[in-house]
Amino acid sequence: MPRISVKIVGASGQGINSIGAIVAKGLKRSGYCVFGYREYPDLIKGGHASYQLDVSNERVRSTETKVNVLVALNHHGLELNMEELKESGIALHVTPGWQFPERHQKLIKERSLRVIYFPVDDVLTRLGAKAILSNVLLTAFVWSMFDQDVDALKSLVGEKFAQKKALLELNMRCIDEGYSFVDPEEGKISVALPSPNKEFSSHLLVTGSQAMGLGAIHAGVRLYAGYPMTPSSPLLSFIAGLEDKTHMVVKQAEDEITAAQIVSGAMYMGTRALTATSGGGFDLMSETVSLNAMIENPTVFVLAQRPGPATGLPTWTAQGDLLQAVNTSHGEFARCVLSVSNSQDAFDLMPVAFNLAEQYQISVIVLTEKQIAEALYTQEPYDLEKAEIHRGKLVTDPEKLKALKSSDRYDPNAEGGISPRWLSGSDAATYCAQGEEHDSMGIVDETWGNIKSQMEKRMRKFHRLKAGLPEPRLGVASHGEKNTAWMDEGDEIELLVIGWGSTHDVIQDVMCSEELRERKIAYLHYTYLWPLCTQDLQKLAKRSQRIVLVEQNYQGQLGMLIRMECGLDIPDKILKYDGRPFFYDELLSLLLEKFVDTTKGRRVFASTSTKEKNFRGPEPAGSSS
Amino acid sequence: MNTTLQTTPPGLSEYYSETKCTWCDGCGDYGIWTAVKCALVELNLHPWQVCLCYDVGCHGNGSDKIQGYRFHGLHGRVIPFAAGAKLANMKVPVIAFGGDGATFSEGIGHLVHGLRSNYPITFVLHNNANYGLTTGQASSLTWQGQPMNTSPNGIPERTLASMDFIFSLEPTFVARGFSGDIKLMTRILKAAIQHRGFAFVDMLQACPTYNHFATHEYLLERYFDANADGHDPSDLQQAKTLAAQVQDRIACGILYQREDIPDFYERLTPRRGLETTCVEEVRKYDVSEYWRELV
Repeated sequence: MPRISVKIVGASGQGINSIGAIVAKGLKRSGYCVFGYREYPDLIKGGHASYQLDVSNERVRSTETKVNVLVALNHHGLELNMEELKESGIALHVTPGWQFPERHQKLIKERSLRVIYFPVDDVLTRLGAKAILSNVLLTAFVWSMFDQDVDALKSLVGEKFAQKKALLELNMRCIDEGYSFVDPEEGKISVALPSPNKEFSSHLLVTGSQAMGLGAIHAGVRLYAGYPMTPSSPLLSFIAGLEDKTHMVVKQAEDEITAAQIVSGAMYMGTRALTATSGGGFDLMSETVSLNAMIENPTVFVLAQRPGPATGLPTWTAQGDLLQAVNTSHGEFARCVLSVSNSQDAFDLMPVAFNLAEQYQISVIVLTEKQIAEALYTQEPYDLEKAEIHRGKLVTDPEKLKALKSSDRYDPNAEGGISPRWLSGSDAATYCAQGEEHDSMGIVDETWGNIKSQMEKRMRKFHRLKAGLPEPRLGVASHGEKNTAWMDEGDEIELLVIGWGSTHDVIQDVMCSEELRERKIAYLHYTYLWPLCTQDLQKLAKRSQRIVLVEQNYQGQLGMLIRMECGLDIPDKILKYDGRPFFYDELLSLLLEKFVDTTKGRRVFASTSTKEKNFRGPEPAGSSS
Repeated sequence: MNTTLQTTPPGLSEYYSETKCTWCDGCGDYGIWTAVKCALVELNLHPWQVCLCYDVGCHGNGSDKIQGYRFHGLHGRVIPFAAGAKLANMKVPVIAFGGDGATFSEGIGHLVHGLRSNYPITFVLHNNANYGLTTGQASSLTWQGQPMNTSPNGIPERTLASMDFIFSLEPTFVARGFSGDIKLMTRILKAAIQHRGFAFVDMLQACPTYNHFATHEYLLERYFDANADGHDPSDLQQAKTLAAQVQDRIACGILYQREDIPDFYERLTPRRGLETTCVEEVRKYDVSEYWRELV
């Protein structure tokens, strides 16, 4: 897959995101697949931030550590990011009279880098434009480097300023200036893009948060309550931004406990309601999760992960809260934990999560990550026919309501433990959604027989849920997600990779690489993380020369769950816990090492040996086995 | 409150429960429980038309001693749950109950924001000035210096001036009842349930087992119906004064009420002009319109 990358770096608030967003949209409309990745510190102004676009005419969904073009909006970018440039890469900067230190001069020679100084201040003064328009100048220059049509950029920028004529004209002049700029020393610069694929031009550019928001609205969510916490806040903002169109009730609550309670009250009443938070906020919601288990109230919580403990790293990514989602809250009860992995299933899984919640009358925890929440995906328009709304044993028919008895609500003999549910305001026998252990009507009942039968009723839902959940998805190198002949014939799998969440997309790209596309490598992706289905895994494990677990946490939390569920120990792990996602070239080289060394690291059951090594992105490091 | 009135009025017996009452002899919960049923019947509400949300405490043990769609939740959290329930279905009257421990300690933040938000719900404070169900610890409304379980020398903290606190939050409805006067409580509750926004109802009640200071007799001697004495609930200054003065005489009744302030739901711009409730709106939505800007 041909891939080109451009990275815009500078201080937070300098307009990195606006350049990134315009270039991304422009390239996408021209027929390119774009994947956007943001790094930024936990502050509003200043600090060092970046926005990287990886571009291809094929599907690209990962970030490389090395880039073709570096756009430095300040000299810190020149100091910090020069080494990320590839052979014959381009450094575009705006710092007058910048003298590169010796090591960078050497680098420029060795890698045949080209350095372009764009005198933004001179041009802006000449045009009488404000400093913020330097972003337009640079965007237009990047546009010309990619040999893209200037009118396409003009129409894109024009959409933003259609109502402000004076501003529009100034923007257009900046585009002309930026587009026609030629560096006196380097001459005309051109970065060759592969030929476009027009299919991408009709695609959407969405973040995982927007995808999830669209999915939630599609699923019939009518009330959203949340408390701001990165990286869940973009979902709250997106839903709130659409409230005049969707007519939803949107409430910014006073804390996460409130958000969880409001949503629980609304679900009890019978609408579909959603809240989202990050790990610390979810700690506060956990008592409510337990409450919902006792009153069998369907609820959906989005848990957007960032590295902890404590405030940790608010603007960085992690998969460190899997065990939190699976184990949080007191008492024993059924719950479902699932994880999105990209903009496709962030959309698709929202109706699924609500269906599961209502069908089993349980809480569903949907995991996402900062990486997914804020990455920019090129996404084909969503299929709006696919999703169905299933509300389980919700009774609304007046005749059926009349026939209900109070004792039907928590009937301990209900099949699969799932009893009828009906709503306040329904002309029927009433019941109590009782937070204390109760009988079939919700009356507090502490007799041993009742306690036992109600616990068993609720836990039967866990067993039924486990039996009904899909097995993990299998992907095979260069062959998408279908079984290939070699899989069917039962040949040995050279390398079986196991992962979840955002790892999915990076591995898909890696498996399409020249180096791996012909190898017998398979990737087993866990979307449904609790209850955990391990049948397929165990079958595949028997046929694999080597198994490796890939996770973005320190302990290998999915590996811990797998071992707990079926005894399969996976000592061979690629673990990353430095706040960065897996990068394409990094994961590729880590997986290649596993092939070199196939004699070591055979699976061991119930072994306790684990060795991990921290990777320091963006430079790929080795792994251990 | 906007439930359609039924042609057959409800009888009090519709609210009867088979569950035996387990409150202590002389507990104020009996009176409040009775007044709630009377108020609902007098408002022509059948049990299936109402949602009653209980916090945790002795009063919460009443959740299975009455009919109606009920919820018995977590300690201190009843207000946001009730608010969420109401916002989802504006057609069902929602009444939340909580004790002074839950309301002025564990969940005091929810009280603040419940009042500030002016949610269209009724909140009934079961105020016995201690934690009864956990065997008589001091709450923030227990008198300072009063020896209690876990504070044998009396609490070192100051007693919270609850009514000053409530009025500082610009409430739209404040009432005070006494568990020994069912007629008065019924009148208050009916007005509270019909109130436009957040109705705060402070029910002073005896706790014969653990509260040996503000006893039933103590309250009986001091309470009076301020409205019968001519208090006008629209008079804010008078209401504040009456509410805060509890030393010699305790003013009860509807202390403050204004109906000109929109409730939380009415302030939600996206909901204006909609007749349906969030509960009725659950279906699959075409979202293609919302992604147009993302292409």
